[in-house]
Amino acid sequence: MADGKVGAVLVVGGGVAGIQASLDLADSGFKVYLLDEAPSIGGVMAQLDKTFPTNDCSMCILAPKLVAAGRHSNITLITNAEVMAVDGEPGNFEVKILKRSRYINEEKCNGCGLCAQKCPVEAIDTYNKGLTDRSAIYVEFPQAVPLRFKIDREKCIGCRTCQEVCKANAVEYDQKDTEVVLNVGSIILAPGFEPFDARLKSEYGYGRYQNVVTSMEFERILNASGPYGGVVLRPSDGEIPRKIAFVQCVGSRDAQVGNIYCSAACCMYGIKEAIIAKEHVPTKLDCTMFYMDIRAYGKEFDAYYKRAQEEYSIRFVRSRVARITEDPSTGNLLVHYVGEDETPRVEEFDMVVLSTGMKPPKNFEKLAKVFGIKINKYGFCETDPFTPLETSKPGIYVCGAFNSPKDIPESVAQASGAAAKAMAVIASGRGKLVAAKEYPPEIDVTSEEPRIGVFICHCGINIGGFVNVPEVVEYAKSLPNVVYAEGNLYTCSDDTQKRIREKIQEFRLNRVVVASCTPRTHEPLFRETLREAGLNPYLFEMANIRDQCSWVHMHQPKEATEKAKDLVRSVVAKARLLTPLKNPTVNVTPVALIIGGGVSGMTAALELAAQGFEVHLVEKEKELGGHLRKIYYTLEGIDPQKFLNNLVKSVMENDRIHVYLGAEVTEVSGFVGNFKSKILHEGKEKLVEHGVVIVAVGATEYQPKEYLYGQDPRVLTQHELEEKLAKGEFNAKRIVMIQCVGARNEERPNCSRICCGQAVKNALKIKDVNPEAEVYVLYKDIRTYGFMEEYYREASEKGVLFINYTDACKPKVSNENGVLKVSFWEPVLKQEVEIEPDLVILSAATIPNPDNKHVAEMLKVPLTKEGFFLEAHMKLRPVDFQTDGVFLCGMAHSPKFIDECIAQACAAAARAATILSKKYLEMEGIVANVDEDLCSGCRICESLCPYGAIEMTEKAGKVVAHVIEALCKGCGVCGTACPTKAIVLGHFTTEEILAQVRAVLKEMIAE
Amino acid sequence: MEMEAEPPKIVCFMCNWVFCGEELQVPYNFNVFRVPCIGRMDPVLILETFANGADGVMLVGCKPADCHFVDGNLHAERAVKMLKKLLNLAGLGHGRLKIILFSPLEDGNFDKYAKEFSEEIWVLGSSPLKNAELAPKITANLAAAKNAASAFRLRVLLGREEELTELENAYGERISEKDYDALLDDIVNAEFVRYKIHYLTRDKPLSVRQLAEMLGLKPSIVLRHITNMRRKGMISMYRVEGNTPLYKALEVH
Amino acid sequence: MSAHEKREFEPKIVGFLCNWCSYAGADLAGVSRIQYPPNIRVIRVMCSGRIDPVFILEAFKNGADGVLVSGCHLPSDCHYLSGNFKALRRVTLLRRVIKEFGIEPERLRLEWISASEGDKFAAVVRDMVEQIKKLGPSPLKMKEGEE
Repeated sequence: MADGKVGAVLVVGGGVAGIQASLDLADSGFKVYLLDEAPSIGGVMAQLDKTFPTNDCSMCILAPKLVAAGRHSNITLITNAEVMAVDGEPGNFEVKILKRSRYINEEKCNGCGLCAQKCPVEAIDTYNKGLTDRSAIYVEFPQAVPLRFKIDREKCIGCRTCQEVCKANAVEYDQKDTEVVLNVGSIILAPGFEPFDARLKSEYGYGRYQNVVTSMEFERILNASGPYGGVVLRPSDGEIPRKIAFVQCVGSRDAQVGNIYCSAACCMYGIKEAIIAKEHVPTKLDCTMFYMDIRAYGKEFDAYYKRAQEEYSIRFVRSRVARITEDPSTGNLLVHYVGEDETPRVEEFDMVVLSTGMKPPKNFEKLAKVFGIKINKYGFCETDPFTPLETSKPGIYVCGAFNSPKDIPESVAQASGAAAKAMAVIASGRGKLVAAKEYPPEIDVTSEEPRIGVFICHCGINIGGFVNVPEVVEYAKSLPNVVYAEGNLYTCSDDTQKRIREKIQEFRLNRVVVASCTPRTHEPLFRETLREAGLNPYLFEMANIRDQCSWVHMHQPKEATEKAKDLVRSVVAKARLLTPLKNPTVNVTPVALIIGGGVSGMTAALELAAQGFEVHLVEKEKELGGHLRKIYYTLEGIDPQKFLNNLVKSVMENDRIHVYLGAEVTEVSGFVGNFKSKILHEGKEKLVEHGVVIVAVGATEYQPKEYLYGQDPRVLTQHELEEKLAKGEFNAKRIVMIQCVGARNEERPNCSRICCGQAVKNALKIKDVNPEAEVYVLYKDIRTYGFMEEYYREASEKGVLFINYTDACKPKVSNENGVLKVSFWEPVLKQEVEIEPDLVILSAATIPNPDNKHVAEMLKVPLTKEGFFLEAHMKLRPVDFQTDGVFLCGMAHSPKFIDECIAQACAAAARAATILSKKYLEMEGIVANVDEDLCSGCRICESLCPYGAIEMTEKAGKVVAHVIEALCKGCGVCGTACPTKAIVLGHFTTEEILAQVRAVLKEMIAE
Repeated sequence: MEMEAEPPKIVCFMCNWVFCGEELQVPYNFNVFRVPCIGRMDPVLILETFANGADGVMLVGCKPADCHFVDGNLHAERAVKMLKKLLNLAGLGHGRLKIILFSPLEDGNFDKYAKEFSEEIWVLGSSPLKNAELAPKITANLAAAKNAASAFRLRVLLGREEELTELENAYGERISEKDYDALLDDIVNAEFVRYKIHYLTRDKPLSVRQLAEMLGLKPSIVLRHITNMRRKGMISMYRVEGNTPLYKALEVH
Repeated sequence: MSAHEKREFEPKIVGFLCNWCSYAGADLAGVSRIQYPPNIRVIRVMCSGRIDPVFILEAFKNGADGVLVSGCHLPSDCHYLSGNFKALRRVTLLRRVIKEFGIEPERLRLEWISASEGDKFAAVVRDMVEQIKKLGPSPLKMKEGEE
């Protein structure tokens, strides 16, 4: 630490954003302290049932991240804690943390849960939103990380039952709150949001009427592990509802309750909840959604909205619900609303779900004070559009919903982006606080007979109380090749790890079997123990005799014991065949290739350069800047050109960035860490080697064919209008803007996201220039999400008229004898209206670059149906591709605003840094292998591999399959399909699995 | 008159040490069982006595400081407090159970106390179990009460009451008798209702509304108990009829 | 042991579960203490797309009365993108094949069970055990017994 930069980061908030930021930092060689006020990490996402727009199970996709964060050697979790004070400066902060007592020793508790089973006191289960109860000693949810219990001191009566049943002696009633002082170089704030308290919207009856629930409650109701087992029930009487109303904008876009902004995610989660409800209700269910505008502005969101209407027959009613009353005799609810035709209506529903908005975290004032950051007028963290991840205090960054209300993918992108920012300030501290672990040299066991040691866990009484463990131990000893077996109180405890190492030495064990809980959580721990004892970690196998045996057959101890024996026998049979596997390594060229020199590409380049990596930046135009060159002012009224000029200057002056203008990437070969590409520049082809690729090719504006565009000079696009306004060439008095031109139609079903904001921006500018001007905006839905809502309000207040149109009744533009006319249906007046504007402004769609297809083919990455680049996972991997080492940002991903492009560009840089920061990459050892003698070169495996990890090569005059180990993820699909059995997945070979099958069904015949 | 038709059947559990070897005079409708200490009386056994048709049950123990086993008598008093709650819930009323801590030296003739209790029961009338109309319900209630009384939760609370209200809990605090009583009330109530639901759904799957009617509770409260029972593996959703899920008890071990 | 003691037939079921969804679902059944009959023996594979028809046939050959194959929900839950579709194709075909061998196709079951469906895993096992009890022991096993 020559320059005093501390190579550690504090991440405040353990939701999905905090976890992502932590993983990116830890994977790039920094020490991370991940702090959460809750007893476990996971945040709101851990409470969700499914996620839009893919309907993935939320816990299924989150749990691997929880486990990864919990197990990462560079991440220390500090849960149940709060930051009390921060001192110092970027590169060196001192943070005082108050760690509240759990009354449980975190080192000793192994999460077995016996205490909770025996605890006599019940408390309201807040994880399940109060719809059921839990015991006073608890974990929030079964997959919690860390899986350490906590005593709810409010409810606990101190009866000592838990202490008596805890075999690990983890209960400590006298545990005190402790103060921890940390030294970190930078800080990321990701404290998330607080759901709006629906009681404040008293006319909706929440808290009075039992069948009015909030969206978060409904998530738990939908969830298979929720209070109702995943069947939607009415809280008042347990009946399955026939008709559910979803009421949008509860606590959003509502000056009456003090939140005028839009909460940005509710339309989509509302649609998702309606869809999932229909899937979860076995009987006929009608879902109706009351909304003001459906804000399906994200990638593929409109397609999802369309499916909700067409496939799921969800009814959408454009209206603000006035109030809700209850029929006390049935518990049914009467929804009072004014229809689009201005007629008051009342409709009866069995249940109402309130889509509650997002508020800043409860303690935002304290956060502001402790961290010394500025808060905006809504209580969220204040940021600048061009530095969206930076708080007002240098060295402290922000991501996720505390930045502004947002959905999961944007939180994740911001999180990676904030990680890039946090890394850059302390780049010189990289690797300083994380120590690589030393292992003894590996013992060669390949020529030895298997000598298996079996360790069987009692798990306190979790296994031992139901399965006769001594009997299983004796049985294990009788199995072929087993030379040692023993039972342990807790096989996972530290002292047992030591014991396993000793027994490996003493009995010269060369295979180890543990029969205990699930390999999903504990396999890495035992593999580590093997490595520490000089054994290859893949010479290990686990039998799950707790989660899948003792816990599910608690009343059949005899059968459970027999089953445990079968499982141990099966696993021992596999263990006999296990072979050591190597974790393949590949070297990394610490250089990035970035395709596209717009704001995204330049930002990514600068971020990587700031971290010390070399960058090749390729731009096809003669000038850097891309789309941003056409933007003259932002909605907030800031001039982006100044920002752009500074950005270009920084890029051009940076020694680590090589800029190629008017250039093109013509060929990319290789794989993660080791790409070789050709750049065509000034007529010459240049070969560059690099470790990663970032795609930042941007997007382009649709050239309208509709509404006389190109035929009448008075019909312009928003960009053309903006230019006129900026250059003072604007002098029209009556303007009609038409939204969604070329978007949200048959050809391009999705929304272009930025045009509503753009229309409002230009309308306000017009009103600025000429307050008397008449501005009409013809729209389908106004999608000024988040804090942009304020400007929509302002425009309305200044007299801009927003008039809704539908696909069935689109506006018409005509030129009658030189007079420009627009006619449209006015839904309030219920009649056709015709006006004669001076200008018609078209909000033209943002469409994919025409050369995306070429770039995609070159990089072997996929595109969406519309032609934007398709990321690895819409929710949790927004800037990654399925192909390792290739990343994505900006409008190449989908249309977005400047701040969003910058956040994504930083994110892509952080993701890239997780690779570039390593000298070599160590891959998972469980990969496919090809026996070239057997391979017939049929290419079946090549076509099946979802990761492009198999390529055909010529070996000794024969075409054979070759596995690129760096790309293989170990699913084994190839091996299963191989007609000649030439391709084999390590650790799950056909012989190994067959041995398991035979053994589990029959007593093994001793050889 | 009906009242004269049959005298109440009273079962009296009496500590062996109260009348050491002395001859005891009790009314003829008193069935006295000598026990080593009334503190050793399992609450389930007392409920069982009611289930077998007793109109009243009396426990007779030693004076507070006289217990041969230190504090068995006090423990019995706490058990009676809980049992009275359960008897109320079961529809028998708390008056049918009485505990007295007695000393022949201080309190004189036991006969007086026995007659007094006998008269109290006389006034309450015979056990509702003998009423053909009420019998099935009361049988169900007593079965639920027995299961509740043998549930781990209640046994822990009962066992720890003295420690927690008179000495100190794990945090060095003392819980007031009032708070403890309120807690016990809640838990007795919850366990009774849950075991009643369990009993009712053993043979026949029932809906939340049907259960609510049978229990005289709000459906929302029944649903909440069911969510907790599902969590504890006591009940499962058996099938759905129309839009109504039916629940069936799972075997509890 | 009494010679005439009639024991109820207890089917042996082998379950092949993918690591990411179904195996996690089976774990959740455990964590939630959902009880189900002890007739299933689980073999973990990384992806349902790894389940080779040979494994299933070997299980039947060695006396399994039923085989459960379970993976992540269609279409998009698969950790490896599309392994579940491959499992769907293989099991569908294999059902026809085992019919040729005289094994009732109901003995081979394919289910999609997610990591949060502990309840479903238990229900599937319960249902399978019940169904196979009705079918009786595997015809393959009967033949072997006759030898």
